Amino acid sequence: MADVSTDPVFDLTTPAIYERGIPYDTMAEMRAQPGLVWHPYEGNGFWAVTRHADVKAVSTDSATFSSGIGHTNLWDLEADALEARRSIIDTDAPDHTRLRRLVSKAFTPRNIVVWEDTTRAIARELIEEFVADGGGDWVDKVAAPLPIRVILTILGVPVEDADYLVELSNYLVEGTGDRPSLAPDAFGNTTELRLLPFGSPASHALYEYGEQLGVERRLEPKDDIVTMLVLAEHEGDRLSHSEYRNLFHVLVFAGNETTRTAITHGAMAFAQFPDQLRRLREHPELMDRAVEEVLRWATPVLHMRRTAAVDTELAGTPIKAGDKVVMWYSSANRDPEVFADPFVFDIGRDPNPHFAFGGGGSHFCLGAFLARMEIRVLLEELVAAGVDLVPGGDSVRAPSNFVHGVLSVELGVAS
Amino acid sequence: MSERVRVVVDQSVCVGIGQCEMLEPDVFFINDDAFATVVDGATLELAAAQLVVERCPSGAISIVSDDDDPAADDSPGS
Repeated sequence: MADVSTDPVFDLTTPAIYERGIPYDTMAEMRAQPGLVWHPYEGNGFWAVTRHADVKAVSTDSATFSSGIGHTNLWDLEADALEARRSIIDTDAPDHTRLRRLVSKAFTPRNIVVWEDTTRAIARELIEEFVADGGGDWVDKVAAPLPIRVILTILGVPVEDADYLVELSNYLVEGTGDRPSLAPDAFGNTTELRLLPFGSPASHALYEYGEQLGVERRLEPKDDIVTMLVLAEHEGDRLSHSEYRNLFHVLVFAGNETTRTAITHGAMAFAQFPDQLRRLREHPELMDRAVEEVLRWATPVLHMRRTAAVDTELAGTPIKAGDKVVMWYSSANRDPEVFADPFVFDIGRDPNPHFAFGGGGSHFCLGAFLARMEIRVLLEELVAAGVDLVPGGDSVRAPSNFVHGVLSVELGVAS
Repeated sequence: MSERVRVVVDQSVCVGIGQCEMLEPDVFFINDDAFATVVDGATLELAAAQLVVERCPSGAISIVSDDDDPAADDSPGS
């Protein structure tokens, strides 16, 4: 019999395990290991960073842990694919700083407030329908439509195209699993899949849509983000064709999928811990903390990868230049060193230094204040409706090691 | 009475995320070039300033101590 390594083997990457939920037990075992754990992956591997403090150390040192060498997903890309797919997420300073400044103004707290009334009108309508129906699939009825309608409004996408963009976004999520259902030539795609984000033909469709909208806004500017992007110019510098379409892609996908996931896990948590929704009704002053706890609980993005730019060391583990280093936010957000009783959903939790928007540093989630506002407004409308959420059946989770996706979940309402 | 301090933003590091604007809207704003900017003459209580420093994802904010107050730099030997 061959020698058996005494090193424990952990699996965080097989997509199918996520259909049963996040492998928190595995993550706890990994946090307890000395140093970092080497996780095999596709013939090579990566350093799995699972403790809160170590995630922060990686996230805040972008000179050592690069987003632009390689990219920020687990797998390797050939050089041409990397360039074709490169977005603001897969970029280091100074390119990242330039792109970020072009868009960040639109997403600051002051500028997000502008969209609150729009968001509230949508949230109220969705909650009223959900309550009138006596519940149903929360994802389909509330969690999916709210963020997509908000982000499309902000971007300037006509409301009649919302369903099409939701459809495309759903196919992208599927592309992070291992069972894509689209044919390579779906949506008239002729691009090699490896050159498209998530390897999905839906990315081609989203590129095409974004380009068409950009052309229209250049001819007829409006007060929206697409107009801002196509007209943005600083000292003769403007977005390249590739930068524009990848930015549009990121804004649609990230503005939609992640908030949907947060809202879904939040509702599931309130159904599982009914005392917390009653507590929020009695103590509305806890609202801001409740929003942060929903974010910690949901942790919509499970991980981001960096690549070591130089030989370095973390938690006593030597890391070679070129090694992949993967920050597992889902693990950091359940790290008992930082969060007392991390598996208790506590809307009064304070402080709550969660990494739902990343572990800090210049790549901190662009849409953080938009997401917070959407979650807060939805919770306010849920509180105003005066009903409890109750578990109504099994949830169907996405087989993805990248997003904490829920495809559907039945919830009921009780007065 | 609790101590009040001034804060500064290192604009070579700031990318205009807006966490400071969320926490202390009377002290910080993101300007048209997407840099966090401190309102002229604004001060914060020490604890509030420390929180803003800690929560800035870019690590761009620092507390100005009286020792390195530029106004005090005229003194000989500084």
